[in-house]
Amino acid sequence: MKPAAFDYSAPESIAEALDLLAEHGSGAKVLAGGQSLVPMLNFRLARPAHLIDVNGVDSLSYISANGTLRIGSMTRLTALGESGDVAGAHPIIPKAVAHIGHRAIRNRGTIGGSLAHNDPAAELPAVLMALDAEVTARSADGERVVGMQDLIEDRLFETTLGDTELLTEIRIPAAAASSTSGFQEFARRHGDFALAGVAAVITTDGSTITQAALGAFGGTHATRLPTAEAALLGAETGDAAFAAAGAGAAADFPATSDVHGTAEYRSHLINVLTVRALKEAAGNSGGGNG
Amino acid sequence: MAETMSVVLNVNGSGRAVSVEPRKTLADAIREDLGLTGTHLGCEHGVCGACTILLDGEVVRSCLLLAVQADGAEITTIEGIGAGDDLHPMQQAFSEYHGLQCGFCTPGMILAGIDVVSRNPDPTPQEIREEMGGNICRCTGYQKIVESVQAAAAVMSTEGGSA
Amino acid sequence: MTTTQETRWIGVSAPRREDAPLIRGRGRYIADIEPAGTVHMAILRSPYAHARINGIDTAAAEALDGVHCVLTAADLEGIGDFPTIWRLPGQKESNTPALAPGKARYVGEPVAAVVADSRYMAEDALDLLDVDYEILDHVVDVEAALADGAPVINEDLGDNTIIEYTFPGINALGVAGDIEGAFEEADEIVSGRFKVGRYSGVALETRGLVADWDDLRQTLTLHSGSQVASLLRTELAAALGIPETSVRILTPNIGGAFGNQWDRYPEDILVSLASMKLGRPVKWIEDRREALQATVHGREQLQEWQLAASSDGTVLGLKGRVLSDQGAHLHSVGIGPAWVTGAAAVNQYKIANYHCDVVGVATNKTPNSTFRGFGGPEAMFGIERMMDKTARRLGIDPAELRRRNMIQADEFPYFSPGGAVYDSGNYPAALAKALEAVEYDKVREEQQSLRDQGVYRGIGIASYIHVSGFGPSAILGILDYYTGGYEGSTVKIDPHGRATLYTGMIPMGQGTETTLAQVAADHLEIDIANVRVVWGDTDQTPYTGFGSAGSRSNVAAVAVIKAIEQIKAKAVRIGAGLLEADPDDVAYADGRISVKGAEEMRSLTLADVAQQAYWAHKIPEGDQPTLEATYVYDPANFTTACGTHVAVVDVDIDTGKIDWVKYVVVDDAGTIINPLLVEGQIHGALSNGLGGAMLEEFVYDEETGQLLSSTLMDYLVPSFTDLPDFEIHHLVTPSPHTEGGFKGMGEAGCFPAAPALANAVADALSHLGVEVDQTPVTPSRLWSLIDQAGG
Ligand SMILES: Cc1cc2nc3c(=O)[nH]c(=O)nc-3n(C[C@H](O)[C@H](O)[C@H](O)COP(=O)(O)OP(=O)(O)OC[C@H]3O[C@@H](n4cnc5c(N)ncnc54)[C@H](O)[C@@H]3O)c2cc1C
Ligand code: FES
Ligand code: FES
Repeated sequence: MKPAAFDYSAPESIAEALDLLAEHGSGAKVLAGGQSLVPMLNFRLARPAHLIDVNGVDSLSYISANGTLRIGSMTRLTALGESGDVAGAHPIIPKAVAHIGHRAIRNRGTIGGSLAHNDPAAELPAVLMALDAEVTARSADGERVVGMQDLIEDRLFETTLGDTELLTEIRIPAAAASSTSGFQEFARRHGDFALAGVAAVITTDGSTITQAALGAFGGTHATRLPTAEAALLGAETGDAAFAAAGAGAAADFPATSDVHGTAEYRSHLINVLTVRALKEAAGNSGGGNG
Repeated sequence: MAETMSVVLNVNGSGRAVSVEPRKTLADAIREDLGLTGTHLGCEHGVCGACTILLDGEVVRSCLLLAVQADGAEITTIEGIGAGDDLHPMQQAFSEYHGLQCGFCTPGMILAGIDVVSRNPDPTPQEIREEMGGNICRCTGYQKIVESVQAAAAVMSTEGGSA
Repeated sequence: MTTTQETRWIGVSAPRREDAPLIRGRGRYIADIEPAGTVHMAILRSPYAHARINGIDTAAAEALDGVHCVLTAADLEGIGDFPTIWRLPGQKESNTPALAPGKARYVGEPVAAVVADSRYMAEDALDLLDVDYEILDHVVDVEAALADGAPVINEDLGDNTIIEYTFPGINALGVAGDIEGAFEEADEIVSGRFKVGRYSGVALETRGLVADWDDLRQTLTLHSGSQVASLLRTELAAALGIPETSVRILTPNIGGAFGNQWDRYPEDILVSLASMKLGRPVKWIEDRREALQATVHGREQLQEWQLAASSDGTVLGLKGRVLSDQGAHLHSVGIGPAWVTGAAAVNQYKIANYHCDVVGVATNKTPNSTFRGFGGPEAMFGIERMMDKTARRLGIDPAELRRRNMIQADEFPYFSPGGAVYDSGNYPAALAKALEAVEYDKVREEQQSLRDQGVYRGIGIASYIHVSGFGPSAILGILDYYTGGYEGSTVKIDPHGRATLYTGMIPMGQGTETTLAQVAADHLEIDIANVRVVWGDTDQTPYTGFGSAGSRSNVAAVAVIKAIEQIKAKAVRIGAGLLEADPDDVAYADGRISVKGAEEMRSLTLADVAQQAYWAHKIPEGDQPTLEATYVYDPANFTTACGTHVAVVDVDIDTGKIDWVKYVVVDDAGTIINPLLVEGQIHGALSNGLGGAMLEEFVYDEETGQLLSSTLMDYLVPSFTDLPDFEIHHLVTPSPHTEGGFKGMGEAGCFPAAPALANAVADALSHLGVEVDQTPVTPSRLWSLIDQAGG
């Protein structure tokens, strides 16, 4: 289990990185935290001719909270999980980050890497979908802003990023003042990729739900749960609405079978977890999706 | 064979220049080029924690880093824990509380334990279990590792000991 | 030196002498060994479950810079394979080949090997090997493998049935009873069908080898993690066609073995052969994917049991059929584990009428062989689930049903219909102690009130016997087990009176070096610091018939005691001469040789006598100079460790998640040498047992025959939060058959773990009538049981 040979560059600026991407195109891979890419190299499941290590590009690592939360793609998961700015704006993020692997993984793994890698069982793509986040993708030809759903579509282990594009920033709009959130996942062991999980963000005016955004993971791809959201919109918070949302979630969820569980089980889980996440959200009053 | 690159690995306080292929993992460079074989390989895909080292003071998997990425960074391996014959309280506690059997996970466990206690000086058993969950042991069933880390934490807080 | 001794070492939690290098990162494992000039091997493994190999083009690989040689089956002309050492009557011969000869039979089977300057380069060369595979139909399920028209794994055997063996044994062991009568007489007949999942030791250190052939001296040094180096030496020499005197096996630190390293493997031959061809050291370190694919698997069985009971709960008879999924080839121990399942299934109970058919079945899977527990945990799963099912059917409390059927403390030795002789124990006492520790009545009460609140708590009891201390060689002979069960020990006292002990045992984590030093220190009555233990070198250590296993320390300990008895007797003879006394008036005590009644005046230290023994100026008639002795101990009988575990869990019926409430262990392994290490062994074995009960499984895809669990992301081993704190209590019933009263115990913890867990889960869901009959009990499986039961 040793990687095949590759060439290696370690640019120090975004421009340099983009030039290298332009030069090497589909033969190149960006190396961020390496917590997904290096295992694939070791297994020789990935055999890039050229590795562009962006760990030295300091300008990709930042968190700036000023209305919209802006996070540099190379921000480590540990920093993301421990940031007061992030927790203040979207407490669901640190909650989700705590479920990602283990300390050693989070010390290296990055938010950008997690989105670009797009493991269908990863937490962040679904959470950021529920938060209506956008990402910026840059290439030597310029920059574009892509919504999370357009980044992921129904893909797994790849995104709509082009071969020469670098994901540079994640932008998360400020949460509605009265929104609350819940995060629930089920994994066979602490820290493992989840069999299923739900990020729920709801806004109420007193007791009626005015906004609902649910992101799910653990299926064939990260996804919003439109049927569940529709069941919630305009409904009174409470068991009946949550149960309807759970059933809707199961209908929306692209469940699949693997060694860890059957598709049937995962659909059932998403139902249970949706109800639990909504109860959690309803119990978390205090606004700012707390 | 791809070109080799020259990098300086600052391990346990001393710097050494090595020449490695870019594809060589940091774990392999530490073991083969520096001869520090206390860093073990149990999976080479990031799951077991046997290859745990400290990189600039943070726990990381050395099997998931390339040696070329560690150029200039400060690396601590198990060989850098404890001074000379003086054991670190974590090492002492592992031996005293039978926190090891075959010893293969032990270097990684000791480093992970030191990391946990450095962030949480008085961890509960449950906190230790959650925080150390990324390190696998096949021999002990973990209970005695938890006891070891707790005992070490008590000693470290009175001695102010750290890595 | 002082020979006065303050502690008796047996029974003391002496700190481990193994630890000092290990906690400093200075252990020496196989991967850390690299003699000058070492080159590295990588192995091409079959990507298919079943495929004919029509040809291998090695040209491109051989042409690659840095590649030293490529081995294919064609290069193995004249090279043998390792025999299956357990050859039961009627068992077809199906040895594991070193490289797939013309046909690959499981995913991961070695097809070719490459040696290059580095492991990186060797893997580059694997990429260039071009194999012409012709894919064949495969079968990865035992029942499908037995069906008409199933693909035949090994054509030479005719079909996929390797052996059918019936208990009570045709080896004249065991008593048949009247099984038909028992079933006619029964008030209730309870049946169960159990799938015991496939999993294995999955040691954290993968296997590895360094072979170093010295052309001038014609010697092969093999650094290996084998648990049974003597046997490896014998068999390797035979396979390679070189004299055994040319082979030296060195065993460094081992990062866990769990039985898997008891076997001989294809790679032992491949690295050795490559080193002989190249005349330089060849190293192979298994990677994790290889470890999951190609280190032996364990356990997998499909069991069907029927139990005949009278309405008062007396078990009248038990009959069963055990299909053992052996994988593609028989490995070192053949169907041994499944045989043990048949032998042990009556467990602690007086079941006079017993019948069991054990069938070894070939499938396109990794060979199923030695793994901690060796068929015992599988047996316990079947019988302990059957006891709970019976209790449920009869409306008798499961603890009570067990108690009513247990062999009583005064009924030993007990001849079981499975063929084993149980030496000693107090089964009802262990059960009672476990129930008391877990506060059984209280937990039962709480269970009721919790259930009303929607908390589903379950209590699972599992009792076990563990036939350990393998074993009397004569009995192994009756069982057609082609190795001895003895263990040798050489003790040498140096001229300064310190002891060096040579053992064929290997410390694999269980602290053997420390415990043997404790035994030696105690019996020589000297300080433990003055005992050195030498292991891991076939040039120095005694031949071991059976090698290291979790449950062999007891046998090795007796060999040490017996050798020391000879040393002491000789020291007394020499000392008597020096003290000018009659040997009958001289005694060995407290590390001194003294005239009885005049200990103050006429007394010598062991060092005084040892010095004289080496000067040899005054050696008694008939004695030889120096002070050393070797004893090869062949156990008179097996020992039976036993006990009861109780698991208490909560089940989340919405997700199938199982949460630990409590886990209580009561075990009886006779005299305990080192309580701290015993606790460690119990914890470790429990973690193996509960891992297989809840998480660990080698899953094969029926469609493709692929092993789906070939990373540690898919094959889940327990981590910190998956296991409870274990509460351990001991009973001590010394074994009457062994010196010192020790019983083997290193494996016992994994015996009742899975049935205790399964019984607890079934108990938690008794209101739904859920039965838990397959391991591992994954959340997905459990939820579907709950779902089907309408929960
Ligand atoms: C044991 C273990 C457990 C884990 N558990 C979880 C878990 O529970 N949940 C979870 O979500 N993840 C988990 N992970 C994965 C971890 O979170 C990864 O770090 C993450 O998914 C990828 O981030 P990275 O920075 O390491 O990316 P890398 O591994 O460096 O890269 C991953 C992919 O993204 C591409 N890429 C990275 N950054 C960019 C960029 N800026 N622009 C364009 N392309 C880019 C790379 O080219 C590569 O293809 C686990 C990993 C391990 C080893
Ligand atoms: S070897 Fe690095 S995590 Fe297992
Ligand atoms: S002590 Fe053996 S793996 Fe932990």
